[in-house]
Amino acid sequence: MLQILIQGLLLSGLYALIAMGFTLIFSIGRVLNLAYGAYLMVGGYMYFWVSQTLGMPKLLGVAVAAVLGVLMGFLKYRLIVKTLKGDHVAVEISTLILAVVIQAGIVLVFGDSSKILLPIVPGVINVAGASVTYNILIATLISWAILLGLFAFVRLTHTGRAMQAVSMDAKGAAISGIDPDRINLITWGISGALGAIGGVFFASYTQLSPSMWVAPLIISVAVVIVGGIGSILGTLVVAHIIGFLEVIVVATLAPELRGVFTMLLIIGVLVTRPQGLFGREEL
Amino acid sequence: MGLRWFHFALWGGLIVGMLLLPQVVSNGTLRTMIFANYLAIFAISWDVLSGRTGYVSFGHPFLIGIGAYTTAILTKRFDVPVEISIPVAVLFTMIAGLLVLLPALRIRGSYFALVTLAFMELLYQLVQVIRPDLTGGTRGMSGIQTLTRGAANGYYLSTTLMLTIAVSMWLLMKTRLGTALSAIGMNEESVRGSGLSTTRLKAFAFLTSAMIAGLGGAFYVHYLGSLAPRALFDINFLFTIIVAALLGGTSTIIGPMIGAFFMTFLLEYLRPVLPGAERYFVYGAIALLLYMYQPKGLVELVRRGFKSLNKGRTA
Repeated sequence: MLQILIQGLLLSGLYALIAMGFTLIFSIGRVLNLAYGAYLMVGGYMYFWVSQTLGMPKLLGVAVAAVLGVLMGFLKYRLIVKTLKGDHVAVEISTLILAVVIQAGIVLVFGDSSKILLPIVPGVINVAGASVTYNILIATLISWAILLGLFAFVRLTHTGRAMQAVSMDAKGAAISGIDPDRINLITWGISGALGAIGGVFFASYTQLSPSMWVAPLIISVAVVIVGGIGSILGTLVVAHIIGFLEVIVVATLAPELRGVFTMLLIIGVLVTRPQGLFGREEL
Repeated sequence: MGLRWFHFALWGGLIVGMLLLPQVVSNGTLRTMIFANYLAIFAISWDVLSGRTGYVSFGHPFLIGIGAYTTAILTKRFDVPVEISIPVAVLFTMIAGLLVLLPALRIRGSYFALVTLAFMELLYQLVQVIRPDLTGGTRGMSGIQTLTRGAANGYYLSTTLMLTIAVSMWLLMKTRLGTALSAIGMNEESVRGSGLSTTRLKAFAFLTSAMIAGLGGAFYVHYLGSLAPRALFDINFLFTIIVAALLGGTSTIIGPMIGAFFMTFLLEYLRPVLPGAERYFVYGAIALLLYMYQPKGLVELVRRGFKSLNKGRTA
């Protein structure tokens, strides 16, 4: 029982970190960025390249991954989202194509085989009979720190409040002297960085492979759909619902069924409550 | 219905041309063409639903998979003859199509696309867990009865199937029903306002699309002789179908066909240069650029080309 609780908390923390960047874009731009999983993949591979192939310090690896994530977010907003302005389905299709292109690019550069990432922080700790690696513990703590930081940023800073305003009403925000374009660009940058950092931890939790982007994308999609329009707290809550659901299914039913209930949850919520469990909320 | 004699002449030319092809080209090319034919069927099926009504499906492999798995299980595990198993597979796929229709009654746009994606992932995980003795679990199945032997016969079968579907869809889309389906994609409210039942129209679109997907999936698996869940319920497979339809041009019949052939042959020609999955890099980049530049696809580019040619002549 306690083991389920601990495992659930750890996994949910990771899921919250993964889903945050996706929710952010959905909440500000009302766009589903299906290439979001590719941020995570590129982040993970970048970290692998810097810290394990080049042998540089690990923190530098994370930093490089984050910077690359920001850059990808900027580029994607400028080149794709802005060009296709307003057409949500077109953005989704083109980001899906982009994700496959990035996947093929990763195969081109790093090869087809999957790679094991060394733990960022090695070691194991025993908590109430459950062995927990420091790696995932750190991932969870960092994810909480990042989420709290993001929450504070959105609530307290001027830019953060402008983001809130754009998410409520882009036209109203523009009348009040906020440049929605700039806010969107910033949001895409933050989302890219969050995705890349999440990818480093996700990759160290599973492994690096060119098809690793699908699973986190599905999790992010599930969080957004089940939670409704993404608020940061809503994301946290739903990440825990999904994380615990998976851990409980794995512990009590069968490990192979882990994703099945997440999918059923997505379908069930979409059919019965398309606006999500928490409905429309501000950021 | 807006039919002209030259429409039939063009179709006739295409049919005769395609059926004469095995006399000219090598067996290797024919095998590539077989894949192109099946991809064209899948792309037409996707287009009937998503290109016309605007309900973008990200879960088409779900429908194709139901058809493929049904006939594979029936023939291999229960020794049902193909003449029965394929119609049953199509029937099952149509029932699955109705299942996908349920969410489409309430949601549309991004949410609908996502729920279909969830359907696909759900089936991918289920076939590996539920009754692996029937579905073959993670490894899938092999040694499924094949319908034809040799490249030429497989080519005739797939070409006949593809052309039959293409021509019947083309005729269907020329009717008022086809027009109504396209109208849903433009403005669902005004279709309802014109006194048409959008629910019935959508049900028709979903059933037709599912029927084609089921037919394609069933014949495809009886051509391949094997199936694997990872190859079938894969985002890359989904990507191939959607891009074939988009590249050629949605809301047309010839578009998805052109797209499918273009895609299959491009990937084939890239094989010597880039042997593995890297081919998708070039391919995807082309698809992305074309989609950003001309979302209506190659057909529209050709049409514009003709228009400017005609203008040049009259001026």
